Amino acid sequence: MFSESKAELTIFDKLRSINYFLLSLICTIFFIGTLALYSISNGNFSEWPIKHLQRFILGLIVFFIVALLDLKIIFRFAYLIFIASIAALIILLIVGDEINGAKRWISFAGFSLQPSEFVKYTLILALAKYFHSMEDYHENFISKLIIPSFIVIIPVAFVVIQPDLGTALVIFLGGVSVIWISGLNYKYFISGILGFMLSLPILWQYLKEYQKDRVFTFFNPERDPLGNGYHITQSKIALGSGGIFGKGYMEGTQSHLNFLPEMQTDFIFTMFGEEFGFIGSIILILLYMALIGIAIRMALTSKSLFSKFLSLGVCSVFFIYVFVNIGMVTGLLPVVGVPLPFISYGGSSMLAVMFGFGLLTNCYINYNTTLTKGSFI
Amino acid sequence: MSESNKFIFKKYDANASINRRTAIITIAKAGLFSILGARLAYLQIVDKDKYEILSDNNRITHRLIEPQRGIIYDLQGKPLAINRQRYEVVIIREETSDYIKSIENLKNILPDVNIDTEKLYSEIKKTKKFIPIKVLDDLSWDQFSRLNANIHKVDGLYPQIGFKRYYTSGQSHSHIIGYTAPLDKKEKDTNTLADLSSAKSGKLGIEKAKDVSLRGKLGNKNVEVNANGREIRELDRYESIQGKNIQLTIDSDLQDYCYKSLNDQSGCVAVTNIKTGEFYALVSSPSYDPNLFSKSISSEKWNSLTDNIYKPLINKSISSQYPPGSTIKPFVALAALENGVSEKREVYCNGKHEIKDTSLESGIKTFHCWKEEGHGNVNLNEALKVSCDVYFYQISREIGINKIAEVCKRFGFGQNVFDSFYEEKKGIVPSKDWKLESIGTPWMVGETLSAGIGQGYFLTTCAQLSLALGQLINGGEKIIPTIVMGKNKDVQKNQKISLNPKHLAIIKKGLEDATNTQGGTSFRSRIPGNLKMAGKTGTSQVRVISSQEREEGLKKNNELPWEKRDHGLFIGYGPINNPQYAVSVIIEHGGSGSGAAAPVASKIFKYLFDNNLNLKSKSISNV
Repeated sequence: MFSESKAELTIFDKLRSINYFLLSLICTIFFIGTLALYSISNGNFSEWPIKHLQRFILGLIVFFIVALLDLKIIFRFAYLIFIASIAALIILLIVGDEINGAKRWISFAGFSLQPSEFVKYTLILALAKYFHSMEDYHENFISKLIIPSFIVIIPVAFVVIQPDLGTALVIFLGGVSVIWISGLNYKYFISGILGFMLSLPILWQYLKEYQKDRVFTFFNPERDPLGNGYHITQSKIALGSGGIFGKGYMEGTQSHLNFLPEMQTDFIFTMFGEEFGFIGSIILILLYMALIGIAIRMALTSKSLFSKFLSLGVCSVFFIYVFVNIGMVTGLLPVVGVPLPFISYGGSSMLAVMFGFGLLTNCYINYNTTLTKGSFI
Repeated sequence: MSESNKFIFKKYDANASINRRTAIITIAKAGLFSILGARLAYLQIVDKDKYEILSDNNRITHRLIEPQRGIIYDLQGKPLAINRQRYEVVIIREETSDYIKSIENLKNILPDVNIDTEKLYSEIKKTKKFIPIKVLDDLSWDQFSRLNANIHKVDGLYPQIGFKRYYTSGQSHSHIIGYTAPLDKKEKDTNTLADLSSAKSGKLGIEKAKDVSLRGKLGNKNVEVNANGREIRELDRYESIQGKNIQLTIDSDLQDYCYKSLNDQSGCVAVTNIKTGEFYALVSSPSYDPNLFSKSISSEKWNSLTDNIYKPLINKSISSQYPPGSTIKPFVALAALENGVSEKREVYCNGKHEIKDTSLESGIKTFHCWKEEGHGNVNLNEALKVSCDVYFYQISREIGINKIAEVCKRFGFGQNVFDSFYEEKKGIVPSKDWKLESIGTPWMVGETLSAGIGQGYFLTTCAQLSLALGQLINGGEKIIPTIVMGKNKDVQKNQKISLNPKHLAIIKKGLEDATNTQGGTSFRSRIPGNLKMAGKTGTSQVRVISSQEREEGLKKNNELPWEKRDHGLFIGYGPINNPQYAVSVIIEHGGSGSGAAAPVASKIFKYLFDNNLNLKSKSISNV
C-alpha cells in the first residue's frame, strides 16, 4: 500500500533528526513561564511552578512518543483520532465537570482534561488526511468542501455550547488556515467571510450573557470599568505602568495585589509585561516568532501533502494561541479565555501544544516518506 | 500532444500553491505580531506616564475580611466566649517614603506603648513592600483614637479594627472552653484563615474541639486606594461569614459553684444528667485566667503556670488519670453478682488477705484492708457500705480479672467519654490480654486483688466515673455523653447495656446505705430531707506501702508531703428515689474520699436539688 523507497528509519536516526533548536526554544519559553508563575505565587515554588514543571515533563513525554511514532500509523488513524476526540466532547457535555458555568473539563483517573484543547490538533489531522487523499485535486473544489466544512463546524459547535468561545475561535481559525493552505480559491474565502458576517446576528443569539457582555466591553471598556471592562483596564494599567524596563522581577504591584482573577492562566502576560517591561515583552514575542518561523521552515521540507498540511496547521494553531492571548490582554481583542502556550498555568493546553509539536516533528523526521491516498481507516 | 500540453497547463501544482499560500500566511503572521509589538510600544512607551499615574493613583488592593468566631453559650443561654473589637496598627512599606520616620512619629503619638523597633525593621525589610505588617496589637480605645487623630503624621501606617476573643465566665470555665492563640506553623497549610495576619485557632477545650465550625469563613473586598494608600472606595465586598454559635450543656452557675466548692484544692468534678448524657459541669481546679492568652503571654507568667505543682493548665476532669480506688467496687460487686456470687455470701474480714507468692522470702504476700482490725463477717451490702477491702479481695479472686474488666468496660471505663477533645485520656481497664499486650508479662493473682479495689494498673478519669455510674444507676440505659447542646437529638435512644434489675437494686441499696446509714463511709456527708444522695467513696494510693513502714505504724496522710498523700474520690447519684444526676469528685492527694471528696459532692447535690437545671435550660435561638 505504501511506497517504500527508503529503508525504515531506526529510532536513533529519528532521535538524531529531531530539530533540537526548536526544542530548546520551547524549553526557553517554558522556563520564562516558570519564572512568571514563581513570581505570581509570591516566591512559593510549590504552589504553581512545581506543577507547571511536572506538566511540562509530561508534555515532553507526549512530544517524544508522538514524534517517534510511525507517520504511516498517524496517517492511517487520522480520522479515527478525530472521531475519538469528538466523542470526548460529547461525553463531556453529559458528564463534564462544570466550572464557572462552563463544562470544559473531563475528570478521568484523577486527571482533569479539556478535550477541546486536543480537538484543535485532531481536527487538523483529519483535514490534512482529507485534502491529501482528495481525487482530482483541482476540479470541483467547492463540492469537495462539504466534508471539511463538517470537520470544522462539528467540533466548533460542541465547544461553543460548552460554552467556550475562545477555544472555539482557535479551533475554527486553525481549520480555516488548513483549508486556506490546501488551495481553496480566494473568491470562496471572501464569500465565506461575508457569509460569516451575515450570520453573526443569528450566532449572537446563541451567546451566553457573559459572552455578550465581554464583546460589548471589548468595544467600550469604559462602559463598565468595575465589571467586565475591569479586566482589560487593569491589564492595560499593569502593562503600561511597567514601562520600558519593567518594575523588576517579583515587584509588579498591580499583579501582586491580586486585582485580576486567573492571573496564573490567561492574564499571565500582563504580569510578565509589568515586571519585565516593553523589552521583556518584545523578547518574549520574538521568541514566539522564532519558534513559529522554525516550525514553518520544518513544515515545508516534507514531501507528502499530508505532512505539509498537518505541520502548517500546527504552526497556525500555535500562532493563533499566542496572538489571541496577547491581543486579549493588551486590549486588542475581546477577553475570550485563551492561554499563552508554555507560560500559562494549565495542563491540557500544555499537553495539547506538545502533542502538536510532536506531530510537527514527526512529519519533519519523516520528510521523505510518501503516503498514498488513504481510505477511511 | 495538445492534450498533454493542456494537461500540463491545467495541472495543478500543489507544492507551488502551498508554498505561495504559506508565504502569504507567514507574512500575515509577522504582520499581526508587529501589531502586537506596536500595541505594546504604545502601552508601555508612549502611554507609560498615563498608566504609571493610574497605577499609583488608582491602586486596587485586595483585603481580607476577618470572620467573627462563633459565640459559645451555656445551658441557660448565657454567653461564655464572645468577640470584642481589637484595635491594631499595620504598616505597608511602599506607602511611605520613610518608614523609620513613621514609626518614630508613632512612638511620639503613643509614648505609652512598647515597640520592638529592631525586630520590626528587620521584618519590614524581609517582607514584600506591599504586604501589611503588624506594628501594634490590642490597643486601648484611647490609644486608638489618639492615633487616628494624628494619622497624617504616620505615612504608611493603618489603624485597623479586628476581633479578639473574650471569656466572660472567669477561671471556672477555662479548661472546658479552652482558648485561642495564633496559628502554629503546621496549621498554616491547612487552616482556612491562614492568610489572615491575625488568624487564631482554638488550642484546647471546646475552642479546639469545635474549631472548624467556630472559625467561620473569610470574606474579602477590593478597595481602591489613592497614592497615600488611603481607601477611597470599596469596589466589591464578599462578607465574611461568622462561625457557628455553640451552646454547651454546661450550666455556668453550677460550673462556678463546683469550682468554688473545690476551694482551690487540686481536683476535678463532673456532673452528668443520667437520662440524657449531658454534662452540666466539668470542672478542674486550680485554674487560670482564660483571657491571659488573648495577648501574648510573658514567659515568666507561662513558666509560673507550667511549673505549678497543681498543674493549673491541665483539664483534670478529662486529661488526668487516677486509680479509681474503692469507687470501682459497685462495678466489681456487679461482676460478682453476675458470676454467681450470692448477695448473702459472707466473707470474714480480719484486716488482711494472704496469697502465696514464691518470689517473696516469706512465700506469702499480704493484702491489707483499710481497716486494720478488720470488719468481721460482711456480706455484699455491708461490704459496699463500709468499703471492706478483704471482701472484694476474696470475690475478685473467685471471679477473676477478666470478668471484672468486662463489666467495667461495659459501663464505659477504658474508653474516651467524649469523641471531640484531643486532650482527653481514656484510662486503663486491666485484664490478662491487656497486660500481655502492653507490658508483656503474664497476669498474676495478686494483681486481680489490687484491681478488685481499683488499685494497681486501674486508671480512670473524673468524667468517666460519672458516666459509668450514671449508666449503671439509670438501669443500663446507654447514654451518649456530650457537652454540646442539641447533639443528642438525632441519636437513637433505647440502646441497652446488659444489666439485671435485681443486681442493680442490690447495688443501689449498698450505695444508699453507704451514705445514709450509720457506719457508712460517707454518712457524715449525707443530705437530710426528702431528696437524698447515695454514693461510694474511694481513697486511692499513689505509693506502695512497704511492710517495714506498716510495722512502724502507718503515717497519717497529713504527716506526709502533699504529693504522697492519697487521692480522695467520691461518686454519687441522687435523688435516690428518682435518680437524675451522677456526680464524681476527685481531690488530688486529698487524703481520703470520705474526708475530702464526699463533702464537696454533698454540697453539689444540695445545689442540684435546689435548682432544677432542666427548667433553666434555654435554647440560644430564643436568646
